[in-house]
Amino acid sequence: MKHFSFRHSVSFLAIVFSFISCTSEDRETPIDPPPLSGDYSNGVFILNEGNFGSVNASVSFLDESDQVFGNIFSNVNSANLGDTAQSMGFNGDNAYIVVNNSATVEVVNRNTFDRIATVTDMLVNPRYIVFSGNNGYISNWGDPNNINDDYIAVLNLETNLVESTISVVEGPERLLINNGKLYVAHKGGFGYGNTISVIDLEAQNVIESIPVADVPDGLVITNGSLYVTCTGKLPFTQDETIGGIFKIDTADATVESSLMFPEGIHPNSLEYINNTLYYTVENAMFNIKISNFQLPSAPLFEASDNGLEILYGFNVHNGNIYVADAKDYISNGEVFIYSLDGVLQNQFNVAIIPNSFYFNNL
Amino acid sequence: MKQIVCILFIGVLSSYEIYAQKDSITVLKEVQLKHIKIRDSIYTTNTVVLSDSVLRQNQASLTNLLNFNSPIYFKENGLGMVSSPSFRGTTASQTAVLWNGININSQTTGQTDFNTINTRGFNKIEVRAGGSSVSTGSGAVGGTINLVNELHYDTGFNNELFANYGEFNTYGMDYRTEYANKEFSIMIGLSRNGSDNDYPFPETDIINENGQYYNSNFSFASGYKLNKKNTINIYANVYDGRRNFSVPTPNALRTKYTDFNTRALVEWESIIGKYVSSNLKLASITEEYNFFANIDNDFFTFGRVNSFIVKYNLDYKPSNKVLLTAGTHYIHNNGRGSNIQSETRNLTAVNVGIKHFVSDAFLYEVTLRQETNEQFGNPLLYSAGISYRPTSFYQLKLNTSKNFRIPTYNDLYWTGLGDPNLKPETSYQGEISHNFSIKNASFAITGYYNSVTDLLRYVPGTDGIFRPENTNKVEIYGLECLLNAEKNINDHKFTANATYAYTVSENQETGRQLIYVPFHKFTTSVGYAYKKLSAYYQYINNGEVFTTTDNATNNILDSYIVANLGVDYTFGTSISYKVGFQVLNLWNEAYESVLNRPMPGRNFNTYVNLIF
Repeated sequence: MKHFSFRHSVSFLAIVFSFISCTSEDRETPIDPPPLSGDYSNGVFILNEGNFGSVNASVSFLDESDQVFGNIFSNVNSANLGDTAQSMGFNGDNAYIVVNNSATVEVVNRNTFDRIATVTDMLVNPRYIVFSGNNGYISNWGDPNNINDDYIAVLNLETNLVESTISVVEGPERLLINNGKLYVAHKGGFGYGNTISVIDLEAQNVIESIPVADVPDGLVITNGSLYVTCTGKLPFTQDETIGGIFKIDTADATVESSLMFPEGIHPNSLEYINNTLYYTVENAMFNIKISNFQLPSAPLFEASDNGLEILYGFNVHNGNIYVADAKDYISNGEVFIYSLDGVLQNQFNVAIIPNSFYFNNL
Repeated sequence: MKQIVCILFIGVLSSYEIYAQKDSITVLKEVQLKHIKIRDSIYTTNTVVLSDSVLRQNQASLTNLLNFNSPIYFKENGLGMVSSPSFRGTTASQTAVLWNGININSQTTGQTDFNTINTRGFNKIEVRAGGSSVSTGSGAVGGTINLVNELHYDTGFNNELFANYGEFNTYGMDYRTEYANKEFSIMIGLSRNGSDNDYPFPETDIINENGQYYNSNFSFASGYKLNKKNTINIYANVYDGRRNFSVPTPNALRTKYTDFNTRALVEWESIIGKYVSSNLKLASITEEYNFFANIDNDFFTFGRVNSFIVKYNLDYKPSNKVLLTAGTHYIHNNGRGSNIQSETRNLTAVNVGIKHFVSDAFLYEVTLRQETNEQFGNPLLYSAGISYRPTSFYQLKLNTSKNFRIPTYNDLYWTGLGDPNLKPETSYQGEISHNFSIKNASFAITGYYNSVTDLLRYVPGTDGIFRPENTNKVEIYGLECLLNAEKNINDHKFTANATYAYTVSENQETGRQLIYVPFHKFTTSVGYAYKKLSAYYQYINNGEVFTTTDNATNNILDSYIVANLGVDYTFGTSISYKVGFQVLNLWNEAYESVLNRPMPGRNFNTYVNLIF
């Protein structure tokens, strides 16, 4: 009987150990289609910001034949892009990806996506990047608890080091450079802003602060006029305010005219093409002709009609409107492409929380 | 296919063991699968009791203990960081953690962070799967974990010192002193645990940064038998913990988090006349967290809730076969936080029940609980079941219950986002257990079904803002297997415990499995002792989980195995001291239980345990 039990004990252990093979490490994970031999020179980059804290930001690529390639940053560089990719910018041969919660800017070749450098110093909650001459300008919210430490980091594009900072008021978000001036929309970061700062790039200091409505978001400059969408404070703030679109004369930094929205309507973003401004309200797309600067009575289209759940990013380019659907934020998102008159042309899946589109040599 | 193989192994394993043990002549000393001991609980479901010796063998966190010894699935944001359970496929706030029978889930989040419970403060932990809202109220939907300070009488003066030290400067110190005579019993425990927690992520050159933590726990329990009919018990527990949250990426802003929780309980047990006994519990609980979004800045956000709880229960036992119970339960919460205005709420409930042994083999029980809270719809909760034991070898248990979970403080009162009109979640459950036991082995297999409606979830609006809502219906069903076996051959002692859970937890709207609920989880531990030498091997196999609600295969978190091996030797006779050595993650598995939050590879730990 002793022998019997011993044998069973051994068998028992053998069974236990055999569970080691019971894992899915060799399960067939779907492999992203192989990249076009590192050729991303003509197409659309779609930035998927990923979940905050989850280090699952990624870049998808739509090529000219409408093929979609996922995870191109990690496929090319064998590294994670990081935690919450906020935005991207092009300068020369390079693309710069601002990774908010990683507090980094990834510098890659815009045609191969090979990593060139990672900017890590002097970035705290970085948001957007623009370029002028030898410098990149990166908006930073700074410490979430401190409303007085927000700044624009000035990046030396040769060394990829931040060489100075320009202090600004709370919540610098989107940036635009025009005529030697940097325009900063103070969306508010961890609070709520209501101004546009104007920075003289030569002197590197703030020369104007233009008051607009609460939560300025999208910026467009055309024909010497700066247009700004202000979302207004949302109801959950318990201090809801109305939104508006402002037209500012860049020559003297004064508000020329403004279109205020009815109570409870909160516009987002702003893009420009063919003398027309495009903005969104929830899942609806609206447009305004520059020549007829007044609020439209009806949307251009309602993206929900095509099954979109949460409109989280959009852009217009070469006769198309690109719309990103974040769904429930814990699913792979989707992209919808419309013609400028609002007819759906194409739709395809991307990755988690797509938030913006960047057009490479298109 | 592999999963099927896993199930087959379980089947083979269990039948193997039961038959293998048939010839045995030794007696199983401690059957861990037994009837529930807590007074206000039910007889028609199974409870797993983890004894002091099991608690000692495991690391100090409740996450680690239950991960290796129960079918509960854990997601842990890196070792020692925020840890939440999924018990029988439910969400983290649907598992109730009780401290000596009192619910201690956070009123702000509805959950217990299992890495803020130090198991060294308790000498028994009971794990019960399935709903038990009739006895514990809101939250006990997926299951309950009861942290117990069990008092013993007439055991004299005993002291125990336990110290461990391991890699990454991980240390634990635990001192427990007990004195008990025939009328009086007292137990005091002091414990401190900490770690630099700067482990390298396996297969990379990245270090877990900013993950250091430490915590201290004070526990107290005493009982005094005033006379033959009256006993007063007093319990207290203080937990003070500080953690830095490890950074998801190296350059990210560093954060820290502190917890300070106190619990006090006075219990009066008395016997009135011949047939009646009563139990009164008065408890006061405080919970407090502070979150520092930047470790270098003194600014923090916080939440604080003070609770006062009264539980009164009367048992009427007209014969040895019948028990009639009636009770009342009152909870007062007073909370506030950075985003919550000061809010108080009062919850009351009454319950009645009957347990009846119709024969020695057959028992039925019914308990009803009427919640009397207008805001939450005054639900009538119930639990009913039967137990049938035709032979000593086999027992059948059937149970059905209605359970609920009320919205948390955050759900209701978070400024601008909370919704004071939220409804509670409601759960209807049924389960059937087949328990088999022979001299030195027991095996239980339970099938269950649980339908949860009005599930509370944070849902993004078209404005991108997440708000709590009563959303989907979730249907959960599955199988649980528990196995215990023990065999002595001369001086050789073998033990084996195993659990297996198969869980389907489906959102009825989408037909998809909930995220972070594995279909399969298997745990086993085998022990061997020879005279003063003992060794054990623990093993878990966690199935893959979806991390996105579309169940997209490219976002699956792979399954993993983790095993620990320990050896110890006891020296001394009157004063005994044990020296032990553990290898954690023996096979050096690179694994994550939360996406992109790697856990440590193989690491080593030593301990001494002094009893005097």
